[in-house]
Amino acid sequence: MRIAARVQQRFRGFSLDVAIASEGPVLGIFGASGSGKTSLLHAIAGLATPDAAEIRIGERVLCRQPRGRSLAPERRRLALVSQDPLLFPHRSVRANLGYAPGAAARLAAPAGARILELLGLAALLERSPRQLSGGEKQRVALGRALLSDPEILLLDEPTSALDAELAREVLALLRRTRSELGIPMLFVTHRAAELLALVDDCVVLEAGRVAAQGAPLEVLSRPQALGVANLVGVDNLLRLRVVRHDEDSGVSLLDLGAGECLAAPFGAAAAGSEIAVGFYADEVMLCAQRPQGISARNLIPCRVERIDAVAHEALVELAIGDHRIRARITPGAARELALEPGRALVAVIKTSAVHRLG
Amino acid sequence: MDAAAAELEIVWLSLRVAALSLALCVLPGIALGHLFARWTHPLRGLLQGLVMLPLVLPPVVTGYLLLWLLGRSRPLGQLWFSLTGTHVAYTTAACVVAAAVVGFPLLVESVRLSMLAVDPRLEQVSRTLGRGPFDTFLRVTLPLSLPGLLAGSVLFFARALGEFGATIVLAGNVAGETRTIPVAVYTLLSTRGGEAAVLRLVAMSVALALGALFGAAWLQARQRRREAR
Repeated sequence: MRIAARVQQRFRGFSLDVAIASEGPVLGIFGASGSGKTSLLHAIAGLATPDAAEIRIGERVLCRQPRGRSLAPERRRLALVSQDPLLFPHRSVRANLGYAPGAAARLAAPAGARILELLGLAALLERSPRQLSGGEKQRVALGRALLSDPEILLLDEPTSALDAELAREVLALLRRTRSELGIPMLFVTHRAAELLALVDDCVVLEAGRVAAQGAPLEVLSRPQALGVANLVGVDNLLRLRVVRHDEDSGVSLLDLGAGECLAAPFGAAAAGSEIAVGFYADEVMLCAQRPQGISARNLIPCRVERIDAVAHEALVELAIGDHRIRARITPGAARELALEPGRALVAVIKTSAVHRLG
Repeated sequence: MDAAAAELEIVWLSLRVAALSLALCVLPGIALGHLFARWTHPLRGLLQGLVMLPLVLPPVVTGYLLLWLLGRSRPLGQLWFSLTGTHVAYTTAACVVAAAVVGFPLLVESVRLSMLAVDPRLEQVSRTLGRGPFDTFLRVTLPLSLPGLLAGSVLFFARALGEFGATIVLAGNVAGETRTIPVAVYTLLSTRGGEAAVLRLVAMSVALALGALFGAAWLQARQRRREAR
């Protein structure tokens, strides 16, 4: 479903001026706090009145401002799930799930049973929201939104109030929701890994403007804008083909090209399929020679392409196989190793530092 | 009529006046409390000041203003006459009006504060889930501010039972019509041999006030228990 939004709004000391268009079905909006993500989402939801806007979801015009109609939020057929679950505290889980018009009937129908099963809510129905854990609350909020039968789900950093483990759990649920219910989503986040895991198309916002748009891996791995580099924590993000699994050694080997492989923690992805992995620039050690007797599984020859000095650290860009990665080291280490473009090194990466993203 | 029957009549009249004025004020109190909590129009301050005025004015002055507003030659007074065929002054209705006007700010303020405490994002979520503004008010805002409405009603009721200044000016001191507990106590205090009756009325007044407080606490506890389930 096509999502097209052009929104202009002035705030005190900040202005939002963005135009985005995407075929989705899952569009990511990525940016630091204060970049205008939530303002944009609120304009789309009808919770804020922009100075000028044209917003379309599929064939429907939700808002055309100024001089045009603007649908009230309750008539836009979208559902918002935000960072805080915002469950109605005076209603049971069942009454929260059945809140939207028609939702109680849907809850009792097979479609409702499917959502309950998908989100694991059946056992929670008679509880009060105050008896739920943070992850359970967010699952109920997601279920409540899905049961309102929206045309599109607006997700405003739904995992950022949760600890890492729960965030992963909610993200996994969103992926299942995506694949099983096929509902379009607009997903706002400041976590690069979540973009890779969930979205098809991605818009990067910076200071109220669109800084980049494209497939998430592309946008994130070419951080022309310094803002993006800051946000992704100079992650190394790669999409690699699975060569084979070695269950005995507990690793999956991924093709880096040029005959090199990256050992990642053992995963179930079929050999031949592509997966996205990421690791922090801090997790990459550089050695002048191939080290001996070391536990790290990845000892990969590489070549220095570029060295950027950033404050009190050096960011080294390396060619490795057919890919580029970055290592973050101290300026002292860079001097000692006499780093310069063209220098051949061995990159050392622990298997457990390589995270599977999507 | 013996003394006991007369005192019962006084208490009964006070209860009727307080209950009637509360019944009249609950809906407008909820509406204005909500308006003052959520409305951002510049006129809000003016309107809010007007509603709060009886809280800061001496009740006798409020009573005089009401007498003037509802006078025979004033538009409001004429409207009242055309509706009821009587003049408002020195009737039970005057007691109700006086109690309502003086107690109203307490109710509105209590409702306003409790509605301010309702997270506006809950209302936003309700809207995006397909519920319109009025539906959202009935399903989210009102139930969540119920404790405040309850507390405001208790304050209002107690204030209405104790209302004296505006009542004596607007409604006077007519036995069986406008002689509420405070008016009766004041009358009896200047009557020789009235001390025993004063004591009985005072005791009943204290009992009513305590009853209202305990009733409200019980209702609130019940509400909390229901929410905790």
